[in-house]
Amino acid sequence: MMQSFMNFKNFLIFGLTILFLGSCQKEAKPISVDPDAYYKVMDKMTEIMIHDIFSPPVASRIFAYPNIAAYEIISHSNSKYNSLVGKIPGLEKIPGLDSTKNIHPQLAAIIAHLEVSKQLIFSEDRLIMLRDSMYSNWSVTNEKQFEDSKTYGLDVAQHIVQWMSNDNYNQTRTMPKFTVNTDDAYRWQPTPPAYMDGIEPHWNKIRPFAIDSAAQFKPVPPPPFSMEDGSDFYKELKEVYDISNQITENGDQSEEVEIAKFWDCNPYVSVTRGHLMFATKKITPGAHWMGITKIASKKAGYDFDDTIYAHTKTSIAIADAFISCWDEKYRSNLIRPETLINQHIDENWKPILQTPPFPEYTSGHSVVSGAAAIALTSIFGEGFSFDDDTEVPFGLPKRSFTSFNNAADEAAISRMYGGIHYRSAVEIGVAQGRNLGKFVVNKLKMENKSATASL
Amino acid sequence: MIKRIGITLLTLCAVIACSNGSDSLFDEVDSKLSGITFENIITENDNLNILDYLYFYNGGGVSLGDIDNDGLPDIFFTGNQVKNKLYLNKGNLQFEDITEKAGVAGNSDWNTGTVMGDINGDGLLDIYVCAVVGVNGFDGHNELFINQGHGTFSEMSEQFGLDYDNYSSNAALLDYDLDGDLDLYLLNHAIHNETSFGKATIRNNRTYESGDKLLRNDGDSFTDVSIEAGIYGGANGYGLGIAISDFNLDGFPDIYVGNDFHEDDYYYLNNGNGTFSESLKTYFGHTSRFSMGNDVADINHDGYPDIISLDMLPEDEKVLKSSSGDDNIAMLDLRIKRLGYHYQYSRNMLQINNAGQSFTETALLSGIAATDWSWSALFSDFDQDGEQDLFVANGIPKRPNDLDYINFTSNDQVRNKLNNTKLVDQQALDLMPKGYVHNTIFKGGKDLKFKDMSGKWMSDETNVSNGAAFGDLDNDGDLDIVTNNLNAAPTIYQNKINGNNNYLKIKLLYRTKNTFAIGAKVNLYVDNTLQTKELYTVRGFQSSSEPLLHFGLKKNNKIDSIRITWPNQKVQIVKNIDANQTLKINYDENEVNSHRTNLMYSTPLFTKVKDNFGIDFKHEENSFIDFDLQKLIPYKVTDRGPAVSVGDLNQDSKDDIYFGGSSRAKPQIFYQTDSTFVKKDSSLFNSEIIYEDIRASITDFDKDGKQDLFVVTGGGQFKGKTNALSDRLYGPKDNDWEKKEFPSNFSNSSALAVGDYNNDSYPDIFIGSGSTSIDFGSVNPSYIFKNNKGNFEIQKVPDLEKVGIVTDAIFTDFNSDGLLDLIIVGEWMAPKFLKNENGNFKDITDDLLQQKLNGLWQSIAPFDIDGDGDLD
Repeated sequence: MMQSFMNFKNFLIFGLTILFLGSCQKEAKPISVDPDAYYKVMDKMTEIMIHDIFSPPVASRIFAYPNIAAYEIISHSNSKYNSLVGKIPGLEKIPGLDSTKNIHPQLAAIIAHLEVSKQLIFSEDRLIMLRDSMYSNWSVTNEKQFEDSKTYGLDVAQHIVQWMSNDNYNQTRTMPKFTVNTDDAYRWQPTPPAYMDGIEPHWNKIRPFAIDSAAQFKPVPPPPFSMEDGSDFYKELKEVYDISNQITENGDQSEEVEIAKFWDCNPYVSVTRGHLMFATKKITPGAHWMGITKIASKKAGYDFDDTIYAHTKTSIAIADAFISCWDEKYRSNLIRPETLINQHIDENWKPILQTPPFPEYTSGHSVVSGAAAIALTSIFGEGFSFDDDTEVPFGLPKRSFTSFNNAADEAAISRMYGGIHYRSAVEIGVAQGRNLGKFVVNKLKMENKSATASL
Repeated sequence: MIKRIGITLLTLCAVIACSNGSDSLFDEVDSKLSGITFENIITENDNLNILDYLYFYNGGGVSLGDIDNDGLPDIFFTGNQVKNKLYLNKGNLQFEDITEKAGVAGNSDWNTGTVMGDINGDGLLDIYVCAVVGVNGFDGHNELFINQGHGTFSEMSEQFGLDYDNYSSNAALLDYDLDGDLDLYLLNHAIHNETSFGKATIRNNRTYESGDKLLRNDGDSFTDVSIEAGIYGGANGYGLGIAISDFNLDGFPDIYVGNDFHEDDYYYLNNGNGTFSESLKTYFGHTSRFSMGNDVADINHDGYPDIISLDMLPEDEKVLKSSSGDDNIAMLDLRIKRLGYHYQYSRNMLQINNAGQSFTETALLSGIAATDWSWSALFSDFDQDGEQDLFVANGIPKRPNDLDYINFTSNDQVRNKLNNTKLVDQQALDLMPKGYVHNTIFKGGKDLKFKDMSGKWMSDETNVSNGAAFGDLDNDGDLDIVTNNLNAAPTIYQNKINGNNNYLKIKLLYRTKNTFAIGAKVNLYVDNTLQTKELYTVRGFQSSSEPLLHFGLKKNNKIDSIRITWPNQKVQIVKNIDANQTLKINYDENEVNSHRTNLMYSTPLFTKVKDNFGIDFKHEENSFIDFDLQKLIPYKVTDRGPAVSVGDLNQDSKDDIYFGGSSRAKPQIFYQTDSTFVKKDSSLFNSEIIYEDIRASITDFDKDGKQDLFVVTGGGQFKGKTNALSDRLYGPKDNDWEKKEFPSNFSNSSALAVGDYNNDSYPDIFIGSGSTSIDFGSVNPSYIFKNNKGNFEIQKVPDLEKVGIVTDAIFTDFNSDGLLDLIIVGEWMAPKFLKNENGNFKDITDDLLQQKLNGLWQSIAPFDIDGDGDLD
């Protein structure tokens, strides 16, 4: 593998040399960078994140930092957009654009994005392959401009990585594992089939981007735990069970099953057959909403700068939504419906979706979808309809939505249809996300309204 | 020149071959010579592979027995997808395929286990063949081939009511009701791919397909008596291993069932009235998790049968690290506390029978804990040195639990198949690493130790061997082994001990209905060592061995007597027996002692008191998982304790008992009355629940004639200067207790010694410190507290500052100078000797010990080992 890769690389260099010799005769043209170059990187990153199996919270962090690196460069060159410096804790002004150099801001932005991305994943080689092929294309087109932009882009990347390294992520890697308490009936237990440990129990210790603290949007507690018939909690438990049975009766083609599967976004679904185990891997909720951002940006005919803006804003809202949600998850530490239904109602019941490995309240997908939809609405406006084909590569059909909020509501309720959340986690979760989203949008004020107005 | 090198090489080869030869015990017989051409070929396709059927790689069985009574054991192999084969033993390890003529090829689509036994009591061995039916499109039923003589058989399972069409692994013959005929235990396995553990109580709901069945022989047919006999038959019974033995020597055969996955193994004790009591949790501390085949033999010469249960723990470090094995500790906790299962760990377990009272597990000590993906276990004395050796048949074509496979199986491949309901295509299966390993043979030794002789006693060529059985195929007195291999010819291991050690083979002829005397037991003594064998043929995995009893006699030419316990429990003594013969004994009513005596193999010094004198204290350790905070520590430290101390707490001259609690459990005091102990609540102790009591001492510290109580507190879960770590001194007050002053000590205390080191008649205290809480391995000071007429103060002892992670200590006058010295033991340290120099303690270990005795010392007790009057 390594050998063939090297050969490939040599071949590439050889080929490039020829190309380069040829192009020497011609006048160097300015490099053009369009949104597709950015999507190429995003698509590759999404693919790598699936391969490397990043959990949803970790994935949200991986989306945010590279986008911010790119956005900060754009905000330096495009007066339409305000820098995030001063609004996001610890972020300091990036190095200035040296006007004596032939720096292409969009090119530098995408190079900075690639470089920061590379630091966040395991399978760097996969990204490096894409990077090298992009680099060589740019270099052939205009070597001077490429080299200047690259130097600047890497400087900015270095700056962002330095800031990123202080967000407590590394520290959380060595913090205590989550201790499962089997004595208290309401507490979360690992769930079938893989019975994985609770993931990211310390995610609330990650430095947030826009929100003041992980607990800023602390939701009301879930209904008090009770297995008494007639209690609010029990009613919600029973509702999950009843809805699931109803849906199952309606069959796999029913709208509810389609909704549940469409929004599953579980990066690691374990499949066990006797001693055999394997996993099917998919995108995370964050990646799904990044996909929607792409669909909207394309539909709106966004240029490179607008595209970076849309993705940066949405990814920040998503990242903070995960921090807020995970803070509540390990506070309320609530048991999943699957565990309780198996213990008290129906030993053989299985949810339509596989229960993900962390406490129930609030629903991560609901919080994240609520926040993302608010961010996207602030960018593209109310009533922005779109056809969501994000899940097509994963064998799921397209779904159409009249607005981002319409999609977020569906994503939220999908968790109940899927049998992995109670109603409170979904309804309170999506509200938690929306409140958080509004706060993020208002705080960041990324668009320079006066500049826009003067255009 | 080249020629010379060639010759040298040849010579070298010859020398190597020779040195190999000297150790070798088994030769593999070439199938060209033996004529055994059977191969259990399994063919996977899109509809049938390891994904569709979890036991796709479990392979076939083998049964050995002399079907034509010519004195030579014949061999029957089951084929999973291919037809079964019966080979007639023609002598000289040559065999003839008589399957066609015999009519035993079978009609089931997926055959599994096989057992030979005389089911209709005509003196001829019949063959029972198990099948998996009703899943994956498998058709057929279990088949019973009744021996008609002259090498022909008739399939008569329906007549006998044994034509079960369910998921059978194997069957075992036993006379559970001692009515003289052979009953049958049918071992079935679950196939359900439900990934939820489910509660252990699932086993109470019988399911036809996967539930085990106890089938009573009613003369001309068999009746399912599972329910009235108390046999579990749930959807979670992954039965792969079965062993029959009279484990408690009460005369009635008991049953041990090994269950794969999370279901506990079953230990059915025969109540003697047609019912069984499943008692695993009472008798076993823990069992193998992925229990496979098993075997039973008395390996420690106490007359009680011991058990090995195989698992799939790899020995190879690389395979070990890349395989999924045991659950993490939180899951184990959940399985035990919430779902009601027993402690299970993924490795082989050797369960040593403690006189029928309990089992002690020694596989790690015995060196047989890891033999990779293991199917059959066979105990026998293969080298005839008087000790049971162990053969393990191993291997799997592909390792489905490979972690790299689990995490990195291509998404597309799996998903496409999931969508098409066919699960995974060949490409995905090819990604699974192979698990071909060599079969393992261990030489049994004294003190429960086994030595791995793989590659020495037998070839270490890798393969996949499933079923295995032993028998004397060449009639030379020693035991040969046959394995049924997957996708390859069977292996015949010919034993070549040939007269290097002596043997005795015993064949019993019992009464009609059980002609081969299944359930008989023979005891004999060789060199004052007891050997015991019980005649049950179903051993290993899906297989049955030759119905004979074989003993290794070392160099002894004669045995003064043997003691036969016939299946009806009548006893016969046979005297003056020559070695190296096949002793045939017919049951004769005139020769047997009608009164059943049980050998008292060992007289216990202590016996358990029935009602515990009313002491119903049960220690409940609080759940705290050290590994969540310290991921790499080798063992838990927060589960030390409970403290216990005996002394007269109420001045009635009767000893009372103090039991300390774990953190958040009340300490309890039991007061002795005339005949029992009575627990008495104390308002003070009822509130002393935060402490984890590690050690306690009932001593009169203030010399007021009343006993005080000192409790050492630790546990390793509290950190810093917290009250929860302070040691406590209590004195009696108004029928209750009061807490008394004691200097603060916030260490994670772990050891206590009480002694008057300064000869002022007031007992002083040493408190040893364990590791700092949640900082494994760090050393804290230990302290001596001087007793000034009931008031304690810390005595400065520099040598105790960093003495180590203490586990125990004693005050003893080791230099006989009239002053108590101090000996301290602990973990990761050598024992420390502190000499009392007029009240000052000095570490003189280096002067006393020549060697470094570092170890994980746990406890110390002085005694006079050489009887010279001083304590050693």
